[in-house]
Amino acid sequence: PVPSLLPGEKRPTLTSPQPPSSRPPCLLLVQVSKNYRSVIRACMEDMHQAAISTRDSALQSQYSIQVSILSAMELIWNLCEILFVEAAPAGPLLLRLLDWVQLHICDVDNMVREVLSSENPSKHKLFWNVVDIFVLQGRMDEARHLLSKEAIANPTSMNMYKILDDLMKKMPVPSLGNTQTLTEMELKWQHWHEECQRYLQDGTFASNSHMESICKILLGDENAILEKKELMTTWYHFLVTRLLYSHPTVKPMELRFYAQSSMDMFLGEESSPEPLDTILMAAFEFELHQVIKECSVALSNWWFVAHLTDLLDHCKLLQSHNLYFGSNMREFLLLEYASGLFSHPSLWQLGVDYFDHCPEYGRVYLELHIERIPLNTEQKALKVLRICEQRQMHEQVRSICKIMAMKALRNNRLGSALSWSIRAKDAAFATLISDRFLKDYCERGCFSDLDLIDNLGPSMLLSDRLTFLGKYREFHRLYGEKRFSEAARLLLMLMTAHIAPCSFWMTLLTDALPLLEQKEVIFSAEQTYELMRCLEDLTAGKLNRQKFQDDDVETMKVEMLRLALARNLARVIVKEGTLEGS
Amino acid sequence: MLPNRPPFPPQVSVINTVDTSHEDMIHDAQMDYYGTRLATCSSDRSVKIFDVRNGGQILIADLRGHEGPVWQVAWAHPMYGNILASCSYDRKVIIWKEENGTWEKTYEYTGHDSSVNSVCWAPHDYGLILACGSSDGAISLLSYTGDGQWEVKKISNAHTIGCNAVSWAPAVVPGSLIEQPSGQKPNYIKRFASGGCDNLVKIWKEEDGQWKEEQKLEAHSDWVRDVAWAPSIGLPTSTIASCSQDGRVFIWTCDDASGNSWSPKLLHKFNDVVWHVSWSITANILAVSGGDNKVTLWKESVDGLWACISDVNKGQGGVSAVTEGQQNEQ
Repeated sequence: PVPSLLPGEKRPTLTSPQPPSSRPPCLLLVQVSKNYRSVIRACMEDMHQAAISTRDSALQSQYSIQVSILSAMELIWNLCEILFVEAAPAGPLLLRLLDWVQLHICDVDNMVREVLSSENPSKHKLFWNVVDIFVLQGRMDEARHLLSKEAIANPTSMNMYKILDDLMKKMPVPSLGNTQTLTEMELKWQHWHEECQRYLQDGTFASNSHMESICKILLGDENAILEKKELMTTWYHFLVTRLLYSHPTVKPMELRFYAQSSMDMFLGEESSPEPLDTILMAAFEFELHQVIKECSVALSNWWFVAHLTDLLDHCKLLQSHNLYFGSNMREFLLLEYASGLFSHPSLWQLGVDYFDHCPEYGRVYLELHIERIPLNTEQKALKVLRICEQRQMHEQVRSICKIMAMKALRNNRLGSALSWSIRAKDAAFATLISDRFLKDYCERGCFSDLDLIDNLGPSMLLSDRLTFLGKYREFHRLYGEKRFSEAARLLLMLMTAHIAPCSFWMTLLTDALPLLEQKEVIFSAEQTYELMRCLEDLTAGKLNRQKFQDDDVETMKVEMLRLALARNLARVIVKEGTLEGS
Repeated sequence: MLPNRPPFPPQVSVINTVDTSHEDMIHDAQMDYYGTRLATCSSDRSVKIFDVRNGGQILIADLRGHEGPVWQVAWAHPMYGNILASCSYDRKVIIWKEENGTWEKTYEYTGHDSSVNSVCWAPHDYGLILACGSSDGAISLLSYTGDGQWEVKKISNAHTIGCNAVSWAPAVVPGSLIEQPSGQKPNYIKRFASGGCDNLVKIWKEEDGQWKEEQKLEAHSDWVRDVAWAPSIGLPTSTIASCSQDGRVFIWTCDDASGNSWSPKLLHKFNDVVWHVSWSITANILAVSGGDNKVTLWKESVDGLWACISDVNKGQGGVSAVTEGQQNEQ
């Protein structure tokens, strides 16, 4: 599969290297930048492996395209690192650019290997090509090494060789440490340049066109360098070579002039710039916004621009010119990237992190996206919930709990539904489920999910119906433990405190029957009067509502209750009227 | 080295094609909340539901109950269960519900005198409420009150000749991103937009339990076929997209919280009637489909201009489902 994002395994774990508050030193950011580049490289390697191991030619070409895109990405990123993150000053700038060029023209290595491994390197047809490319890339030692072979094979040119070798050895290069100032270097370079000039004009190299051409290159002769167009392959290589031999102390801000002219000279009339060229040119011109824009247009995924912009933002390079909806470019791109992650079954969790790093809109984007994650399993739901709870996204928590409760209810898992609705603090739903529990009880005579109901604790208070359910279950427990008077008291309270719904009173009164029929008197006189009153309220109400479907059964129950209550009353009056001991 | 690309990210491509086996024109296709199921409806009077996870397409249900072409389907929020509403030329609105793994009709509304053209569920924060727009010019609001009961409120003569589309405003207090709301539940003001044969887009507001016409948006020169109120990210701006028989798509924006001044921006003039418009979740992409047999996606760039980011040409006889709440007309 051709990913529109970078392959999952090599995803970088950082989005913003440092939290916005601290000021990271430049070196740290350079390191971060290098990390990103190594990630790109790793992806490239993976893609390359995939390309060579597949037999499907369509897939292979897709993979190869991806490899070249990734390679371009790394090229661009590397240049941005040199120019913007590291912000290499004049001097080291050239050295970095040389490294950059060397790193990205890989054909050289193959050629080099071929020549060096041959029996007679200096006789190889590509020999001078390799020498030239070394010179063009400023790889003096390697060039000199090869040249020495030529000198050995061709003793007549020994003199010429010695002079050229000497010139190449002496060439002043900018140093990385603080061992010389730019002015010092420039001076040295001027002297050296003049020396080369003298030798050329003296005709020292006249008899060997190759060496003469090298000398011309050393002198920064543009035509001589351009002759080696095929070896350099790109205008930016040409640019760097030009700089090396005509203006090694180039300042960053001067790059743009050389860049434009290099491109013009190299491409000539026939070719026009490609997307990559435009991007690199924008970078040489230090037009950051242009770089980002061009990259957005040319590259098919958000990963690159989002992360590059984030890095540049940390370098304090992007002026936060307010986009019309008030956010800045870094956030805009990160939001786009993270949104893309949410459509992926497992990458959405990464998306959460990214949204967290978007101070303005991250939260609301997360709120909108997180509700759309399919909650296939309970674990996934819990995971999503945890994320919402950590961020105090109460609406989303409620919503998710409600969804899970509804799902559980649909699958008749009442206990699960109840615990979800408690978590959602959804009173209405809890009432609905409690009713279902009670209905089940009436039909089957027992409760399901006893554990849950027994351990409701304070959440029982979420809804009246739920409270009733909890208390009713408690009544049954007390009865089971033969704590009759407590059970009786509770039963009565359920009706008198109107915790029990009217529809349930009949059931409760019926539950009172065994208590009334006990050998021991359990209900006091007062309690019995209360019970009688409840019964009368109930039957009076019933008369009005004409619920006479179970006509006979109902009337019989009422009769039985009246009888039991009357008997109980008789017994209790006697008991209460009797003095102790007499 | 880099291939040339069309001028705007992201790359958009068709990810799946679903063969619904509908026997006639398909008028609407809607993904559910999670993008795992697809509901389609057709002139063949049926509503079909597919499981489209992982690029598959498994028919879950074939719902019969309408006696005429079915114009639209709409999924309710999952917290109410798996509920789908459909409306049809047969003047009926049917609400279907999945119980114990099977889909059944749970409610049928026959209060309109003419074809019902559009149904739209309100934001879940308001409860389970369905707005229905009909060719008899009225808009009905069905509210679930519990126990299988629905309460009906009707706005008669909402649009002369007929109402073609309804779309609810998101349940966000405008400006809430900037001023943090207090811990209590905010006072929602329920609003929705409708589009009609009077070429108008109207905005309706509920005040004291009554629905009143709040705004009239005039810009189209022919029947308004669809309206879509963009999801909100808490900014003070409200946005509505409308499309019409006149081939134009307008983006209406209102900058103040009181909702008084709406200004239209022409997205594009197409060569044919535009049937549907639909917003992505975070409202940064608008999908447009029309009689020119194309589906296009539009995005607002940083300088406020709308650009087309993709062009998905549909072949003859095929049905395409695209991820972002896309609606299409074959």
